[in-house]
Amino acid sequence: MRRGSIVQLIVIGVLAGAIASAFALIPNWLPEPASKEAGRIDFVFWFVTGICIFVFSIVAAVSVFAVWKFRAKPDDDSDGAPIHGHTGLEIAWTAVPTLLVTSIAVVSAIVLAKDDAQGANPLRVEVTAQQFFWSYRYPESGNKESDVLRLPVNRSIVLHLTSKDVIHSFWVPEFRQKQDIVPGIHPTLHITPTKVGTYPVICTELCGLGHALMRSRAIVMTDDAFQKWAAQKGGA
Amino acid sequence: MTSVVAAEHQPYAAHEGLPPPPGGWRRLLYPGFLRAAWMAPLFFGIGCGIVVLCRWWGGWHPIWFGEIIVLVGALIAAPIGFLAGVGVFDYWVRYAIGAPTVPEDHTGHGAYSWRDYFRVNTDHKVIGMQYLVTTVVFFLIAGLLAMLVRAELAKPGMQFFDNQTYNGLFSVHASLMIFLFVIPAFAGLANFVVPLMLGAPDMAFPRLNALSYWLLPIAGIMMVSSFLVPGGAFASGWTGYAPLSVHQPMGTIFFNMGVQWAGASSIMTALNFLVTIITMRAPGMTFWRMPLLVWANFTTSLLVVIATPFIAGSQFFVMFDRVMHTHFFDIAGGGYPLGYQHIFWFYSHPAVYIMMLPGFGIASEVISTFSRKPIFGYRLMALSLMAILVLGFSVWAHHMFVSGMAPWLRVPMMVTTLLIAIPTGIKVFSWLATMWEGKIHFNTPMLWAAGFVSMFVIGGLSGIYLGAVPIDIHVSDTYFVVAHIHYVLFGGSLFTIFAGIYYWFPKMTGRMYNETLGKLHFWLTFVGFNATFFPMHLIGTQGMPRRVSDYDPMFAHWNMFISVASFFLGASTIVFLYNMITSMRRGEPAPGNPWRSLTLEWQVTSPPPRFNFDEIPQVVGSPYEYGVPGARHAVLNGDRTAEEVPVH
Amino acid sequence: MSAHAEAHHGPPIAHQSSRVNASVLGMLLFIASEIMLFGAFFTAYFFVRVVNGIPWPPAPFELPVFVAGINTAILVTSSFTMHWALQSIKRGNRAGLQGGLLLTFLMGLVFLLTQAREYSRVGFAPHDGAFGTIFYCLTGLHGAHVFVGLSILLFMTIRAFRGHFSPENHHGVEIGGIYWHFVDVMWIVVYSTVYLI
Ligand code: HEM
Ligand SMILES: [Cu+2]
Ligand SMILES: [Cu+2]
Repeated sequence: MRRGSIVQLIVIGVLAGAIASAFALIPNWLPEPASKEAGRIDFVFWFVTGICIFVFSIVAAVSVFAVWKFRAKPDDDSDGAPIHGHTGLEIAWTAVPTLLVTSIAVVSAIVLAKDDAQGANPLRVEVTAQQFFWSYRYPESGNKESDVLRLPVNRSIVLHLTSKDVIHSFWVPEFRQKQDIVPGIHPTLHITPTKVGTYPVICTELCGLGHALMRSRAIVMTDDAFQKWAAQKGGA
Repeated sequence: MTSVVAAEHQPYAAHEGLPPPPGGWRRLLYPGFLRAAWMAPLFFGIGCGIVVLCRWWGGWHPIWFGEIIVLVGALIAAPIGFLAGVGVFDYWVRYAIGAPTVPEDHTGHGAYSWRDYFRVNTDHKVIGMQYLVTTVVFFLIAGLLAMLVRAELAKPGMQFFDNQTYNGLFSVHASLMIFLFVIPAFAGLANFVVPLMLGAPDMAFPRLNALSYWLLPIAGIMMVSSFLVPGGAFASGWTGYAPLSVHQPMGTIFFNMGVQWAGASSIMTALNFLVTIITMRAPGMTFWRMPLLVWANFTTSLLVVIATPFIAGSQFFVMFDRVMHTHFFDIAGGGYPLGYQHIFWFYSHPAVYIMMLPGFGIASEVISTFSRKPIFGYRLMALSLMAILVLGFSVWAHHMFVSGMAPWLRVPMMVTTLLIAIPTGIKVFSWLATMWEGKIHFNTPMLWAAGFVSMFVIGGLSGIYLGAVPIDIHVSDTYFVVAHIHYVLFGGSLFTIFAGIYYWFPKMTGRMYNETLGKLHFWLTFVGFNATFFPMHLIGTQGMPRRVSDYDPMFAHWNMFISVASFFLGASTIVFLYNMITSMRRGEPAPGNPWRSLTLEWQVTSPPPRFNFDEIPQVVGSPYEYGVPGARHAVLNGDRTAEEVPVH
Repeated sequence: MSAHAEAHHGPPIAHQSSRVNASVLGMLLFIASEIMLFGAFFTAYFFVRVVNGIPWPPAPFELPVFVAGINTAILVTSSFTMHWALQSIKRGNRAGLQGGLLLTFLMGLVFLLTQAREYSRVGFAPHDGAFGTIFYCLTGLHGAHVFVGLSILLFMTIRAFRGHFSPENHHGVEIGGIYWHFVDVMWIVVYSTVYLI
């Protein structure tokens, strides 16, 4: 290959990378994180995004260059160079992706292990899903019931989830955590809220005709406010 | 199934097409739609009779029970009656009872007029066309349903449909697209092309091939007609998760049974492809000289034969839970609801490759031909197909990362999932390397193939996000997944199907399509597609779940944008239809080999002769030797067409 | 598409690129698919019995292990008579073919009828808990295969008595036979997993 072509190729690659980065950075891809787990998951997200932009730039550079430079004139009936393969290249594009996906797998596995571990002194909340609403119960506070998920900030929370009928799925985008609730299976979900605020609780598993409306709220409160709320009788 | 190959050698008469049907009442006994019109109701009656008798004998009440009557009478017995009526079983029945079979005069082989496309035909080329036209019809229906879905989603709140109808719309949309468009459209293209590429006169079992086709309209009509039954269409998604599907209205059994018919059809075709590829290759056509399309269909067929019975099982279980009150997925009775997902995805993950590998094959053919270059790394291309085949069976639980399955399963499944990206990547890099230093002609098929590569890269990369468990936990069951599946299935499968249709259109019809309209179709689709589906990644990660008829108003702007783009995308199909219909009638006559391709199907006339080859060709080299001086793929008797060809 | 001059030709004889007979290969692939169908049912069995760990059989139900054992013996024997039938026609012994097929058919029929009787006596129904579900669905799936096998046998027998098949042309028997052996082997698996362990 000529020097000039290599420069052109690199320029296209950098341009493609820049465009892809703009796509990655300008819109707000992820809602404001509101839990410790969210921070870690976002890390994986950006880690993978970095790798993807790298791969995308190379692929885009090669394809744009090829489409631009190797287009035949309409009346050109000649054939291209009879290249059948190139062992070195083939090894390279097997080995490099292997490395990249292995690094993704390692990072993901570590984050997964961390997100699955509960912190000290966790607060247990029982979450019940049924067609088509959520309810919450606090065993620590005399089985106080609520239809809003109230949580103290900066404390490890363990949700114990149960479904009464079909499969539902508990999701709070700001916490990044999601868990399907298959009837008969009682999964747990670990969340450590880090920001006071109100967030949507969304059912993400098709559960029948009211699925789209099966929502409630998660309210993260300061510890004091939460204790006060937990102590009072009644009141959602 | 036996002796089909042998039967080809029996004496034949020189009819031109089927003899005209007899007149008078005997016409009612003659295979065709007329006979089907009375046999289907007859079998329906028999089915109902059996149900009622059994219930009466077993003492179950009520004796007349709607859902079972519909299931046995309308969804099982009547289709069998229809098949018997159109005549797919005629030969086998005679064979089975040892009656003299009709001497094989090949009257049911080949098409002489449009009518021959509407009867049981054993010519793989006719069957291929039947497949393609049927699947395009279902593609249009499914596309219209998608337009209705987007209409409802254009604004937050409820506009046109109630929730149950909405759920039915996207469920039928997805099921038709998957089971009646992508999978059978690939089977149709391969049906036409694979025997030609192999240098074979037909498929190994032509009558089985006809049966596989005739099962398809049954499956499709079943799924569409579920809109008409009380309670509406099946509404638990194309995944039909239990226990929800067990407790849905009656439409669900139309899905359960539709999948069985479509699945039976794909198993039969796959089996046919495998046997054809293994036993009917032309002399000299070793495995390492097969075109990659043949390789792709070989691996796909293996996937189909091995995996499809699992979805059959999962749908049987749901059906039994509904009508026989068994307890497969009922915890109170000791069942295990999560089992459905394991069994379902053990088929349906391989199914995503069933929907992609044939497309890889088409892309390889088109890219090599239009770049005028040999496929780069041919053997590694074939081996990566095999790698995907093997790995594809070990990743099903990546659809269940958040399902609550055994937590230890997640990391191994993540590793295998990410590993699958490697053979997939190899294929993409090899296509690009094939284009490198080529003499690329951007005819319509090449546009679609290049568009496919670029869109598939995006779909593959979003697959990496989904394969990384922590990210999947956040984006699973959101619009991000919807974006991913459309980049791989629309940008992947559909683009390659279009590439294939344009590429082989001259071969199939004997006429050229309109190149300008073809390019217009590509560009409209390409733009519409990206405008529709790329923003879905964004609203997904931001928090919009999938399968909802209503959503948070914060997503209103994007959804309006997506809906408008999708109507534009839908409208682009009109260009395609117009081009196909007018070109089929008035297009310029096509030469035998308009693309100067080397594979065998292009070495015969367009359309190919009735038995493909006058004499089986002798394969002497690789199918992709573009630019190699003097290289040949095969020697045909075409070199001496002037001579008298001896009749066997 | 217009008629071509070649229309008067028959097809060229396809090249045989493998030593395996096409129909035999087709049947083997079909059986691979069938095994996977059983695989799906065994997966359901696994989930119920191993993952959920329900008692097998749950009291007060009992499995007729003995009767089913005799039934197993009958079905296994029928595999031998099937083999005999095939060997006979290979050697040109038509009476052996007819006798073998007839015996095989009768034994298969006895098996199926015994199973039907077992169903009516066993004391539980498919809707009696996951145990009943799995029991009926596995044995029923197998029974459906016996039924299909019996139909094939019936047709083979009719053809044998009408003078079809010969030492040169016995693929019809061979292929039907492969299916029948498969049905037998599958029963041994079903019997051991459902009744014995
Ligand atoms: C690089 C390769 C790929 C990877 C790593 C990958 C990964 C994944 C993962 C992890 C999911 C599950 C997402 C979720 O539900 O949470 C998924 C969904 C899906 N993928 Fe892929 N994928 C790849 C390629 C493909 C291809 C080639 C196709 C089809 C042609 C495909 C079709 C689908 C479909 C249809 C779904 C959604 C199923 C549903 O829930 O309805 N994927 N993919
Ligand atoms: Cu829901
Ligand atoms: Cu998958």
